[in-house]
Amino acid sequence: MLVLQSIVLGLLLGGLYALLAAGLTLYFGIMRVVMIAHSAFLILAAYLAWWMHDRFGLDPLLSMVVTVPLFFAAGVALQRLLLTRLRPATLTMMSVLLTFAIALGVEGLLGYAFTGTQRRIQLGYGSASLELFGARIAVVKLIAFVLAAVALTSLYVLMKRTRFGWALRATIQHRDAARLLGIDTERVAGYGFGIGLATAAIGGTALSLDTTIYPSLHWHWIGPLMAIIVVGGLGSVPGAAAAAMVLGMAQSLLQIPMGTTWAQTVFYVALFATLAFRPQGFFGGRLAQRF
Amino acid sequence: MPNASRKIVAVGAIVVLAAGILVFPSLAPNPYILSSGVLVLNYAVLATSWNFVGGFTGYISLGHGALAGLGGYATGLLATKAGMPSFAALALAGLLVAALAVPLGMAALRVRGASFVIVSIALVLILLLVFQSWASFTGGSRGLVVPRPFDLTRPEHHRVFYFLFAGLLGVALLVWWLLDRSRFGLGLKSIREDEDKAEALGTPTFTYKLIVFVVSAGFTALAGGLYALWFGDLDPVFQFSILTGSYVVLMALLGGVRNLFGPVVGALIVGSALEYFKVEYGDTPLHLVATGLLLALVVIFMPDGILPAIGDLFRRFDRTRRSSIREVTAAELRDQRKAAV
Amino acid sequence: MPINHFRSTAAALGSATILALTGCSGDGSGGGENTSDPIVVGISLPLTGDFSEPGKGVQEGYEAWAKVVNDKGGLLGRQVELKILDDQSNADRVVADYEQLIGKDQVDLVVGPFSTRLVVPSARVAEEYDMLFVEPAGAAKEVFEQGFKNLFYAAPAVANDHYNHLAEHILALPPDQRPKTAAYAAMDDPFAQGTAYGLKEKLEAGGVKTVVNEVYPPNTTDFSGIAAKVAAAKADVLVGGSQYQDGVNLIVALQQLGYQPKLAAFSTAPTNPEFAKAIGNKTEGILSPTGYSQDAPYESNKEFVEKFKAQFGKEPEEDQANGYTTGQVVAAAVTAVGCAEQGECQKKLVDWLHSNKVDTVVGPLSWDATGKPQGAHMIQQWVGNDIKIVLPSDVKEAEFVYPKPAW
Repeated sequence: MLVLQSIVLGLLLGGLYALLAAGLTLYFGIMRVVMIAHSAFLILAAYLAWWMHDRFGLDPLLSMVVTVPLFFAAGVALQRLLLTRLRPATLTMMSVLLTFAIALGVEGLLGYAFTGTQRRIQLGYGSASLELFGARIAVVKLIAFVLAAVALTSLYVLMKRTRFGWALRATIQHRDAARLLGIDTERVAGYGFGIGLATAAIGGTALSLDTTIYPSLHWHWIGPLMAIIVVGGLGSVPGAAAAAMVLGMAQSLLQIPMGTTWAQTVFYVALFATLAFRPQGFFGGRLAQRF
Repeated sequence: MPNASRKIVAVGAIVVLAAGILVFPSLAPNPYILSSGVLVLNYAVLATSWNFVGGFTGYISLGHGALAGLGGYATGLLATKAGMPSFAALALAGLLVAALAVPLGMAALRVRGASFVIVSIALVLILLLVFQSWASFTGGSRGLVVPRPFDLTRPEHHRVFYFLFAGLLGVALLVWWLLDRSRFGLGLKSIREDEDKAEALGTPTFTYKLIVFVVSAGFTALAGGLYALWFGDLDPVFQFSILTGSYVVLMALLGGVRNLFGPVVGALIVGSALEYFKVEYGDTPLHLVATGLLLALVVIFMPDGILPAIGDLFRRFDRTRRSSIREVTAAELRDQRKAAV
Repeated sequence: MPINHFRSTAAALGSATILALTGCSGDGSGGGENTSDPIVVGISLPLTGDFSEPGKGVQEGYEAWAKVVNDKGGLLGRQVELKILDDQSNADRVVADYEQLIGKDQVDLVVGPFSTRLVVPSARVAEEYDMLFVEPAGAAKEVFEQGFKNLFYAAPAVANDHYNHLAEHILALPPDQRPKTAAYAAMDDPFAQGTAYGLKEKLEAGGVKTVVNEVYPPNTTDFSGIAAKVAAAKADVLVGGSQYQDGVNLIVALQQLGYQPKLAAFSTAPTNPEFAKAIGNKTEGILSPTGYSQDAPYESNKEFVEKFKAQFGKEPEEDQANGYTTGQVVAAAVTAVGCAEQGECQKKLVDWLHSNKVDTVVGPLSWDATGKPQGAHMIQQWVGNDIKIVLPSDVKEAEFVYPKPAW
């Protein structure tokens, strides 16, 4: 009973992790950039959803109409205006610092604008739930999961079925070769970044439905997400999604014997184990061997 | 600039810096300023320790705050639980953290760049979790009280620790300088410039990186332990904070990682700025924005730091010197080799 | 450095050791007690960061106190001036703040910050500078185990004693009604844990079995795992060692799982004005200990509530009352001893407080040698659409509701 409940909760959590990890993986694949600010943008999106709900009474889901395009544009701008200024030789290291700096800035501005008070959207359906084989599924968590699943599926279709997706994958696999094929890799990289940041907007909205948010919350997310993309094999979107589901499930199940705090360590144990025994990751990731 | 005048400038800089550091306590108008001085020196030691990895190999660790926290807790726990004298506990804590750095380094340094940074961040987060949760051993959120090593009034306490930190800084700088001039240091720098080529030329890159990581961890732990003895109260949330690590990186980068005194200069600037921001804009979270902005500016416009930037400025007037993309000219390299042998 | 912050009185009378050791020469204007000089009270509070919400509450309490005192002509004929610094909810900063207030700004008095985590390090600074340290928020028992001699906690009871009245009441129920099992979920924070574990100890001793005992880190936002455990155990009693938002999150997560306890008690959260709305107004029967009630009959309380409303346009809560109480305690000592500056005076203030009782908005307070207050908290319960005192029975405003209606 408790196990079944935990499996359900793990599944719902894993879905959100998967979506966010997909965004991080995109950045890394495109430019070898470790985007520390990803989770800061996640929290920013959640705050925007909260703010629009609080101020105008908009349902958080509607806030995506604004945040997704906004974040897409911000992602393109980030890549074109800032990251391309870094020296290619030290890009990976310096991009970490740059995005780290952006994360600090976002956190500081959020704190300035909304204070450090914990916020939570109060929804009429906040405590409603469905029953499934004896396990209970909160409606808000289900919505968050569906949101993540739809976004991930669209991302998959975009990458596998469209011309842009083809160009994006070519850019990820071999940038120089892609350029020789006539792909405008610079522009593709910019759009890729935009899509990555858009996942943070969707994830943030999903997050805002059922959890409390506060400005420094992003540190709480970045650790697990980093672990997921390493375990999944840096640069592999399906790998990251698989690792997210497995680790999300593991965290949820381990809470039963170990308690909430210790269960979080599963991410870091997985991270160190991966690096010690299989640095290229467990789910593909040809790229990771070189980075 | 010819070698001789370069040496004079260097020696002069050392004398000025050392004199400034030693005279400061007698000039400090009140214990508060003195305690800020201790904090800045603590940052200087941390940034210099960080620079063993960052400066020599180009690997950027955001997790050195965790190593310092570990040193602090190790010192505190050895002193309280094992009843060791404070400074014996400090020394042992340094060794223990250095030993722990071996497996850590082996996991983190096997892979290049990205994974190293991720591991360094993960280190902070996991240690926070462990030290917070393992309350029966670490005191958890109740904190750990580290006994005072000396029975002194508070201002005297600050003064003694000020000189202890200054001493530790001196040792760390000396070791960095010796490494910099050694053949070993040359091997390390080749890793920074091009790890693949260095490896192809027979440099045992992994061993080199690991050794320097362990040295760095040891010094960081000593700084953290000394801080614990000075401050007296440890709390996991503040000991294992990702901000500490980022401040240290900012200091080292701002000062210049290729420079012996770069991190110290960076620590002086950033440490004082932090204190200033705190006093002036203390009641808003804008200090985070200021830190972020400064870090972004340094990364984009001055990745080599402020000292080299100033150097460049002088060199622009000095047309006789031909610019070279290399850090040292072939002749200088030959001299250095001779000196090292 | 703003020179006007150097207090001439302190330079003249103040700690000669500090001045000699640091080579500080004072500001030269020196000389004697000046009655026109304000009494500067130094405070460091978490105005940003994790504890900023209660920190601001305490700040309002202090400000209300200073205004009330000044409107009456001040202390010892001198106006009271607050110097408040922000410690960013950070222990390093809180120590630097008090260091600055005592060493650089030469304030006459210091009073405490918010949160147990910050009280211990800051109390150590005050102790080592021989300053009186009355604090509004260090309720965990660890605070009183550090050997501080100058510390006083300005509230009726320490965290572990908050639920004393409730424990007595539960254990006095007839055996067939008495709950058999209890679930505890506490934030990993000395205060929050202290409240829950104080009750746990007493209930366990009385034969109520502990079926779940969960501790979660302060930054936890997802409570579904803990809630799943509590719900699966079907405990009769639920005790939440909570601050505000975590308590709300836990209740919502439990509602999602359809768990209905017979008795639910949370520290801090239910007294928050936003609480009812945050959990969908399903508050009926929820319990909370409190050290302060706006309706308490104490003489100074009426004045406080009235003046506070006039100044801030809202009712004071517990945090505000704690700040105000702290001010009252210090003021009582200063008035009785007749001095307020660094140096010898501080020792006299400390001695006076150790041997006297002070009337405050939370009732008369007295302390043992460690600075621990000698009282217990009232128990409030949500009855109808309001939270009312139900225990102890001599001050109750409503009957204790048991078992709790469904949420």
